[in-house]
Amino acid sequence: MSSLVSFDGATLGYGRRAVLSGLTFDIPEGDFLGIVGPNGAGKTTILRAILKSLKPLEGTVSHAPGLRYGYVPQRDQVDYTFPLQVVDVVMMGRYDRIGLGRRPGAIDRELACASLAHVGILNLANQPLSSLSGGQKQRTLIARALVGNPNVLILDEPTNGMDLVSTTQILGLVRELHERDGLTVLMVSHALNEVANYVERIALVMNGGFRIGTVDEIMSSTVLSDMYGIAVDVDSVNGHRIVVARRDSSMPDVAHGGEPMPHQHTRPGSPIV
Amino acid sequence: MGASPCPTSIHARAHRLFDAVLLFRESLYGTLVIAAACSVLGVYVVLRRIVFVGAALAELSSAGIALALWLAGQNVALGLSTHPIVVSLMVTMAGVLFFGSGSGRGRIPPDATIGVTYAVAGAAGILLISKAAAGEAHDLFLHGNVLGITRADTVVLLAVAIPVLLAHLIFYKEFLFVSFDRETARTFGFRVGFWNLFLYLTLGLVIAFAMQFGGVMLVFNFLVLPAVTGLLVSRTMRGTFFWSIVSALLAALIGFTLSVPFDLPSGPAIIAVSGGLAVLGFGARIAQRR
Repeated sequence: MSSLVSFDGATLGYGRRAVLSGLTFDIPEGDFLGIVGPNGAGKTTILRAILKSLKPLEGTVSHAPGLRYGYVPQRDQVDYTFPLQVVDVVMMGRYDRIGLGRRPGAIDRELACASLAHVGILNLANQPLSSLSGGQKQRTLIARALVGNPNVLILDEPTNGMDLVSTTQILGLVRELHERDGLTVLMVSHALNEVANYVERIALVMNGGFRIGTVDEIMSSTVLSDMYGIAVDVDSVNGHRIVVARRDSSMPDVAHGGEPMPHQHTRPGSPIV
Repeated sequence: MGASPCPTSIHARAHRLFDAVLLFRESLYGTLVIAAACSVLGVYVVLRRIVFVGAALAELSSAGIALALWLAGQNVALGLSTHPIVVSLMVTMAGVLFFGSGSGRGRIPPDATIGVTYAVAGAAGILLISKAAAGEAHDLFLHGNVLGITRADTVVLLAVAIPVLLAHLIFYKEFLFVSFDRETARTFGFRVGFWNLFLYLTLGLVIAFAMQFGGVMLVFNFLVLPAVTGLLVSRTMRGTFFWSIVSALLAALIGFTLSVPFDLPSGPAIIAVSGGLAVLGFGARIAQRR
């Protein structure tokens, strides 16, 4: 698989302030990568470098030629007071192809409807955007990202503020788009437990640290305790991995030179969202 | 036989009303141009939640007029008393650059920056005009007097409004995208900063010219109320623009027409009608929901 985006010793930050340094990793074609970490850890900074809106302070971030991104912003970045119909919003995904000063035409509308059908909400095409549920709004934004026929689909906190049902449906849809269409997907989230059960690789961004690997590599007590700075266990329920912070330990065992003790619950723990 | 209204009397009244409006028709044309231009821009002003940027720009424009008149009184440049728009434009465009480029976003919340601008510009306008030669006579520049609009003024207003409205027609897609979802627009390669500044520039231009004749209150009204009416009545962007323009023109027409024979101040009369239309729009929205 060829690499679509390559970070080579990249230091990212704003002004002179470095947020993350020494980033070296590739995003190959067909990847399904979750960029996970708490708010303020630097997820958005990495995202901006991938989207070319942030140049590295040091090192390089290179992009494959002709790369097209389908970007799904956080839902609260979009203003739902605009009196727009769902199909109008999806057509925005074609705006960069229409040309300066020109209006979307019948073909753009057809493609927008096809994209809506692809995410299962063609019946909502003529509904006002403001009347949709959170999950439907997210599907609309995904349809808009797909209508431009991207190589990479990027979702920024796609399940933020959603209930369990909508979260499961949206993540299921994203995985389906990856598996069915072979789309490269990058998903930014603070919710490790959600993302870990859908993606193939995880990039963990925390406390200025960065670690990337397959889900199996990252979802280990050793790695997560080290990254979170508290002792955590990784459990499995019906094949779903769940990361749980130990209540009886605020510091990881690794911090004291010892190995953490996975799967040894003396008391119930708190799931790491 | 019971008393019935005399048809001749009603006819005569209507005739007098028509005559009075006809007498001030040039003023009405100018007011309609201001109404149309502001009501289109107002849709963005309301949707982008920059209503008070519009108010602050109007106050800046007003302060610019006052500054020009004060400078003329100081014999700096006598032409400024007849063409205060030059200074008004410069001051307004400084405000456009400040707000349009996102300057002032830092420790101070944006709405506080807008508030400071509004208060300081408003006070500066009053202070400068009070010390300008024949200050009281120039009060009209600050409060507006649409009845004073001449044919030449209307031509000037049209010369500003037509290119601005054409720009909004041609670049509707660009203005809409950067207003609705700037992050995604940026990832699509849209120059968000440029389009924002362009939008503010058109806003500043219209406000600066409209302010001279309409005054702060009327311009602010045309920037907000018709757009609110449009949003209440319609569920599409096209419909919102349509109803915003229609309600602004109706308010100008009805308010102006009623103000002349009843000797009412034209600006407040137009604003009162705008308010009435917004209430009707609210009623229409409630009716749509049922």
